[in-house]
Amino acid sequence: MDFISHDEKTIAEMLKVINVPKVDDLFQDIPKDLIVKSLNISDGMSEPDVLDKMREYGNKNKIYPHSFLGAGCYYHYIPSLVDFVISRSEFYTSYTPYQAEASQGYLQAIYEYQSIISRLTEMEIANASMYDGSTSLAEAAIMASIITGKNQVILLEGVHPEYIEVVKTYCWGQNIELKITSEDKLNDVLNEDIAAVMFQSPNFFGDITDGLVMSNKVKEKHPNCLLIQCMTDPTCLGLLKPPGKTNIDIFVAEGQSFGIDPSFGGPGLGIFTAKKKFLRKIPGRLVGKTKEINGDRDGFLLTLQAREQHIRREKASSNICTNQALCSLSALIYLVSLGKTGLREIAIQNFQKAHYVKKAIALIPGYKILNKKPTYNEFIVKCPDINGLIRECKKMNLLPPLQVSTYYPEMSDVVLVCVTELNSSSSIEKFIKAAKLAINNEEERAN
Amino acid sequence: MDANELLIFNKGNELVHQNFIPKLDIKSEKIEEILPKNLIRDELRIPDVSEVEIVRHYIKLSKINYGVDSGIYPLGSCTMKYNPKINEIVARMTSFSKVHPLQDENEGALEILYEISQMLGEITGMDGFTLQPAAGAHGELVGLLIIKKFFETRGIVKNKIIIPDSAHGTNPASAKMAGFSIIELQSNKYGEVPLDHLEYALEQGDVAGIMLTNPNTLGVFDRQIKDITRIVHEHGGLCYYDGANLNPMLGICRPKDMGFDIVHLNLHKTFSTPHGGGGPGSGPVGVTNELIPFLPIPCILSTDKGLVCDYENHESIGRIKAFWGNFSIILRAYVYILSLGGNGLKRVGQIAVLNANYLKTLLKKKYHLPYDRICQHEFVLSDKYLPNDITTEDIAKRILDYGFYAPTIYFPLVVNGALMVEPTETESKDSLDKFVEVMNQIRDEALNEPEKLKKAPLNTPVGRLDAVNAARKPILHD
Repeated sequence: MDFISHDEKTIAEMLKVINVPKVDDLFQDIPKDLIVKSLNISDGMSEPDVLDKMREYGNKNKIYPHSFLGAGCYYHYIPSLVDFVISRSEFYTSYTPYQAEASQGYLQAIYEYQSIISRLTEMEIANASMYDGSTSLAEAAIMASIITGKNQVILLEGVHPEYIEVVKTYCWGQNIELKITSEDKLNDVLNEDIAAVMFQSPNFFGDITDGLVMSNKVKEKHPNCLLIQCMTDPTCLGLLKPPGKTNIDIFVAEGQSFGIDPSFGGPGLGIFTAKKKFLRKIPGRLVGKTKEINGDRDGFLLTLQAREQHIRREKASSNICTNQALCSLSALIYLVSLGKTGLREIAIQNFQKAHYVKKAIALIPGYKILNKKPTYNEFIVKCPDINGLIRECKKMNLLPPLQVSTYYPEMSDVVLVCVTELNSSSSIEKFIKAAKLAINNEEERAN
Repeated sequence: MDANELLIFNKGNELVHQNFIPKLDIKSEKIEEILPKNLIRDELRIPDVSEVEIVRHYIKLSKINYGVDSGIYPLGSCTMKYNPKINEIVARMTSFSKVHPLQDENEGALEILYEISQMLGEITGMDGFTLQPAAGAHGELVGLLIIKKFFETRGIVKNKIIIPDSAHGTNPASAKMAGFSIIELQSNKYGEVPLDHLEYALEQGDVAGIMLTNPNTLGVFDRQIKDITRIVHEHGGLCYYDGANLNPMLGICRPKDMGFDIVHLNLHKTFSTPHGGGGPGSGPVGVTNELIPFLPIPCILSTDKGLVCDYENHESIGRIKAFWGNFSIILRAYVYILSLGGNGLKRVGQIAVLNANYLKTLLKKKYHLPYDRICQHEFVLSDKYLPNDITTEDIAKRILDYGFYAPTIYFPLVVNGALMVEPTETESKDSLDKFVEVMNQIRDEALNEPEKLKKAPLNTPVGRLDAVNAARKPILHD
């Protein structure tokens, strides 16, 4: 199956128009010794055969009905209409809306996305999307360096470890010096050569930092230093004070929670927002509202393209071209579907359910909650028998929480537990039971 | 068509019943007692809209948007081919869509990633692949960081990259993001890289390598490609292949055989995954054996114990994206390769080139074709010699009036008033003929009814929009 409509007769007619005898003659510019004889790839398969094969692969992935795993990728309920809308092929088979008049539908949707993200975060401007949370944070660091003309940035511990790695790579590329430190030691490293301080809240371990306290701390010492916040599960904004209210300069987040399936970690959605004064340094596409040249109707178009690579080439603020448009459409439909009532409710449920589990686990002898600050839907627990907990979870068909040692080998007995609105009370009780059984088993083995 | 659908924010009311969250079925506590008040938000300016209203709103918007399923989408260098529907079905199978990136018991996902890496290796000739990059430009950045690391580990300072003037804008922007400065090389009258200029640039020293797309953005295969890569290598540089234009080379010719060391692919172009209105894409990067150690982490390795993930490679440029790349896009590309097979891919290359040459032969009768040669996947017309000061933009906007999408305009920069046309292999002859008919009619209008072009588009939901004012006083949200 090659999705080509021509038969041999048509091909012959077309060759005649072109005035070459054979298709091979169209490749006459290619040196003969470069022409490939054939590819060592099996012959094409029929749809049913492909589907069978893919089901076989799929069966090698285990899908659990309930999960306590988050750590940057979350299971939230996705309203049915999200996939329905993004499956409209007028949307998903289009490309970047260069021809605005034939792309008004998508442009309006992106404008609505920028609007809804601005409303949710209370940040003054939001772009049309970036690849994901990690690259958004890295681009924010670069943007801060461009704005301030300084090439040192500080990143506070507690940022998602994979994000830290990505920021490191990007900073190395741009010769930006990255300093990683703890919140307690921030004051010691903060000086006037610093372009920005980056922190995550709620952070990788679940801790919520009051953005206002953080911004006062940074701005009092160095008013020109930018403050960048990132977030991995922005459903919390239904409940928590938004970054726009806490004097954050650039706010980025992973938007996968907004109606996008985990799909083994991608695609996600890079949410990128900033204060208005940084508008002309923001990376990525922006959709603006305008009017017709010869009329009064409102319309939407890609604007401020003079920042972008296809115009400014090496002077552009970023190289980003293709972004995550369809994922931003998912996020828009998700946020609109829930509405303010639903967004509040979902945030409250995530918070309440996680709080319930946290309290229950804390009561089991041997377990210790390690968070010192308030948490949203994730928290870290020191376990008496971490392998036992993982094993018991799997036995009960629960996707176990993250073993923090995946990233921090020294935290060998700590798990990062994630509880969302999708965790029913029965799955929650199972998890608590699994935690209890894990100790009992350990005692049995000890005996 | 009716325009100006109200924004979603103008809809909805205070008491909408929605049903997307289960009832809270655990004992809850007063929020204020368990969360400090200073952390809690007060207002949230998002409307409550009913499901029916939401669906109608977005269906209405979809109707004023043009996609590949609407008709020919001849956007040059974007390879707007048909997106097979089976890809979408597979991407939505819960056994893929619900896999968490940090869970174990993920063998199916890892096997697919490993196998498609092998297939892309066969297609490009490259020895190792990373599937992490989220888009073409992201792949370029990875490729350039690999070049940077390659020289850094050898203690050699090389901080310049040669890029021809016909290159995609992402090339210089990516090179700069990797810390390089750019030497721009002027193409010759055949649209090819002039070897003498290339040698001169290399002799200035500090050149880490060259970024090329071949066929280039003029749709022309550079006949001296082997000399180009040889000369760059002789001067100690590396050769980077921008795979945005790989479609016509499928099963015909391989970047590694041309002499390239690094290649990025755009799965959303060449391998049929949907462009999604601007993304998500996927931009895998392939390298030669020598450069494999520098690939981003994690890498998937095949060992006696099966597939394992390598996070420990210290020579790597590091991580460039969280988790595993845009897996569900990679999955669609894998399904595409399975569906077509080796022979099918070769036919894609052949027919893409047949379609482009057919269209070029017919269009050059009425439009100026600055580089009149056999082309590969695309060709570039210009607005030179059009009567009545008609511009490329006028032509493009008038095409919209006839219910088609316009080609890429004003790119590549080496052609003034460029109209860059790439039909792809999935357009039928009938579709190409209709496009030619429209283009011919527009050419006649340019002569006889120029006002129709200057005021175009007239039949779209909105008329030509005021871009100048939009940039001067940006309105970016409601």
